[in-house]
Amino acid sequence: MSDTPAQYTPAMDFHPQPQPGTPTPWAFPAPERLTLANGLTVLHCHRPGQQLVAVDMVLDAPLAAEPEGLDGVASILSRAISEGTDTLTAEEFAAELERAGATLDTHADHPALRVSLEVPASRLERGLTLLGDALRVPALPTEEIERLVANRLDEIVHEQANPSRRAAKALYAALFADDDRLSRPRAGSTDSVKRIDRDAVKAFYDAHLRPSTATAVVVGDLTGVDLAALLESTLGRWTGESVEPSVHGPVVADDTGRVVIVDRPGSVQTQLLIGRIGPDRHDPEWAAQVLGIYCLGGTLTSRLDRVLREEKGYTYGVRAFAQPLRSAADGSGRGLLAISGSVDTESTAPALEDTWTILRTLAAEGLTDAEREEAVQFLVGVAPLKYETAGSVAATLADQVEQYLPDTYQAEFYRQLAELDTDTAARAVIAAFPPDRLVTVLVGDASVIAEPVKALGIGDVTVIAN
Amino acid sequence: MANPGPASGLAITEHRLANGLRVVLSEDHLTPVTAVCLWYDVGSRHEVKGRTGLAHLFEHLMFQGSANVSNNGHFELVQGAGGSLNGTTSFERTNYFETMPAHQLELALWLEADRMGSLLAALDDTSMENQRDVVKNERRQRYDNVPYGTAFEKLTALSFPGEHPYHHTPIGSMADLDAATLEDARAFFRTYYAPNNAVLSIVGDLDPEQTIAWVEKYFGSIPDHDGKQPPRDGSLPETMDAEARELVLEDVPSRALMAAYRLPHDGTRQADAADLALTILGSGESSRLYNRLVRRDRTAVAAGFGLLRLAGAPSLGWLDVKAGAGATLEQIETAVDEELARFAAEGPTAEELERAQAQIEREWLDRLATVAGRADELCRYAVLFGDPKLVNEALPKVLDVTAEEVREVAAARLRPDNRAVLVYEPTPDDSTDDDSSENEEAAA
Repeated sequence: MSDTPAQYTPAMDFHPQPQPGTPTPWAFPAPERLTLANGLTVLHCHRPGQQLVAVDMVLDAPLAAEPEGLDGVASILSRAISEGTDTLTAEEFAAELERAGATLDTHADHPALRVSLEVPASRLERGLTLLGDALRVPALPTEEIERLVANRLDEIVHEQANPSRRAAKALYAALFADDDRLSRPRAGSTDSVKRIDRDAVKAFYDAHLRPSTATAVVVGDLTGVDLAALLESTLGRWTGESVEPSVHGPVVADDTGRVVIVDRPGSVQTQLLIGRIGPDRHDPEWAAQVLGIYCLGGTLTSRLDRVLREEKGYTYGVRAFAQPLRSAADGSGRGLLAISGSVDTESTAPALEDTWTILRTLAAEGLTDAEREEAVQFLVGVAPLKYETAGSVAATLADQVEQYLPDTYQAEFYRQLAELDTDTAARAVIAAFPPDRLVTVLVGDASVIAEPVKALGIGDVTVIAN
Repeated sequence: MANPGPASGLAITEHRLANGLRVVLSEDHLTPVTAVCLWYDVGSRHEVKGRTGLAHLFEHLMFQGSANVSNNGHFELVQGAGGSLNGTTSFERTNYFETMPAHQLELALWLEADRMGSLLAALDDTSMENQRDVVKNERRQRYDNVPYGTAFEKLTALSFPGEHPYHHTPIGSMADLDAATLEDARAFFRTYYAPNNAVLSIVGDLDPEQTIAWVEKYFGSIPDHDGKQPPRDGSLPETMDAEARELVLEDVPSRALMAAYRLPHDGTRQADAADLALTILGSGESSRLYNRLVRRDRTAVAAGFGLLRLAGAPSLGWLDVKAGAGATLEQIETAVDEELARFAAEGPTAEELERAQAQIEREWLDRLATVAGRADELCRYAVLFGDPKLVNEALPKVLDVTAEEVREVAAARLRPDNRAVLVYEPTPDDSTDDDSSENEEAAA
């Protein structure tokens, strides 16, 4: 601490910090709707200049619909739909997709099975034809499904070795009852995946993939495209009997304050995941909660990183977030609330102690107007950047559909955010993270961290083998 | 003069201030956002022995305040204005970027100028000690605490000889991070951070005359200097003369075969041909290696090839195969070598070439879909190749490459005696990912 910066006198001319110009009004894009003859719902949105068109499908195949003992069948189906059709082998289908310059990503999650196509606008018809065929007449070949099952079994071993994946698995297992699908890994466990075969995948496809309960979100530069006709001749060829949409059960969790250490001997860091459940986007407090959580842990100048990173150097970064788990039209859904990051092993207990101090101080003193102001400016101001690409707009619209929210939800959310006062945001984040109702998962070296963590008094400590 | 979109090429104008700062502008009024990107021509290749990781650690210090900006003020002011920001360090350059709502552009320019001209007025021991710990935790999180995490570092070290400027990666070693002093950081700033060693690109919803006036106002008085030393010579023979190989025994979830092939320098037609070869062989689920190893042989869970483009040293072709349960690395290596030899002899089919070009076109559209992506590419072409306008020729050049050129580069370079190999065998003990990113970021 010997040198003072004063000796480094800059040679440049300084000017006062500039003031902003006049903002250009921006609103989250409003999609238009149409329904194809096969019952498929379509949301579409023209975004000039976005040459990569995004097509996001929301398919009503929730994980809770997987048959008993077959966890992972939705994931295997999601991976298998791009493994060939009635006219193309798996290799040919992959080749045709790539020839169109397209990517097809699939993901089976608690609320729905999602399929995302990205394709240059110039090749939109080819991309949509392939997507339509994958949904309409997937071959689901036995040998490819055997391979996908084997790959998933290998993938589980890799997930188990990855600290952040391992922490998520342990947190869900701790929060939710064993008979709740939420408690178990989305893509299945070794025991359940081993049981999955072609028949199981085909049965799940037949039961749950129907155009009448599906939605396609199409976003991008659609100049000169007769979208309704193009969709009818591609996705419109997919047919299936109309079925009742799924009904999602309520979400309940045990958030008794406690600590679960997943022992990972020799770890040079401890992965932290501290969580419980709370409101989803149907809750009137959602915007306030987003604002408050940003102040707590949204960026490196938020309360957590201000201490844990920028003062103490314990971590590369810790974030707090809220993420819908499973929603329902009646508002009975819930989201995951969590704080996540990794700290060097020796700093595990000190970092947790600081985290609890930050939460207790927050509960006692609330937020400041300056924090609220900076957070609103960021969250509202950054929206035009965040939604510059077609893919980001499509994903958000698809999330709205999946969560039974109106098409105007995101635009309304930004209007609400801008008007929230400091106390409302503070109340929401304090309610979200009560210090005595948090389940703490630590993936790290138990021989080093268990005793100091027990001494913190943040709940009973259980050590489990990795 | 608005730009109708990347498909028809970017409208680009160039300027140079009296102090040597190069400025590149590209207008596009479709969305009310503007990206500012500043590339300093300094990366980990400029570091000296015993001080690896200094360029990246220094990048962190650039966020710790300057004469008129408080510690972390850069983050607070940009985010408080609705902008996003970060910085990254690679072998060849360090970049800093802000994407702002268009009416906040002037703030980003003021902030960048303040730290370019006056960082040392604020840099102190407290920042240095704190960010040293942050960077060490970044290293643990991204490399040391994840399976296969140090593969990138190990394979880079095997690919470039001991004294070569690319022998070490941007994250640096723990020992060198511990050894770096405040005076090292100050000397680094004085040597490399100067307007004549930087390119500033500004892309999006902007008024060019006003923007240039602001750049002149804020950056114009920062003195230039010639303190910079050129990086150590990175030239190497076009090919290695023998394979380099290392066996790693670690507690990893599965066996893995990784390799780095020595390839042509970025910016050459041969590098584009190599990009196409690697795409056909190892990118996506219709690639030759995926079809062979994952679909047919079922010896691998994942198999892919990537291109690490380097301008100041040979590029690297990055092979990464994770074995399936029960498969041996001998089976996998034999199959890889067979596929590469067959490709070198036969070259790509017309359909394979078309597919690879379509994939590269999509990746390019993806990069140019945001103002920030465009700003970064303009800096890249200006810093590494001297002319930002080359950005508009990049894709046509890839689409112009012939099947024979792809075959030739594969035959010359994708050979067992032109690679470094890293072989992972699992042990039941101790652990160390898949992230072979060459960038170190300041945050998140």
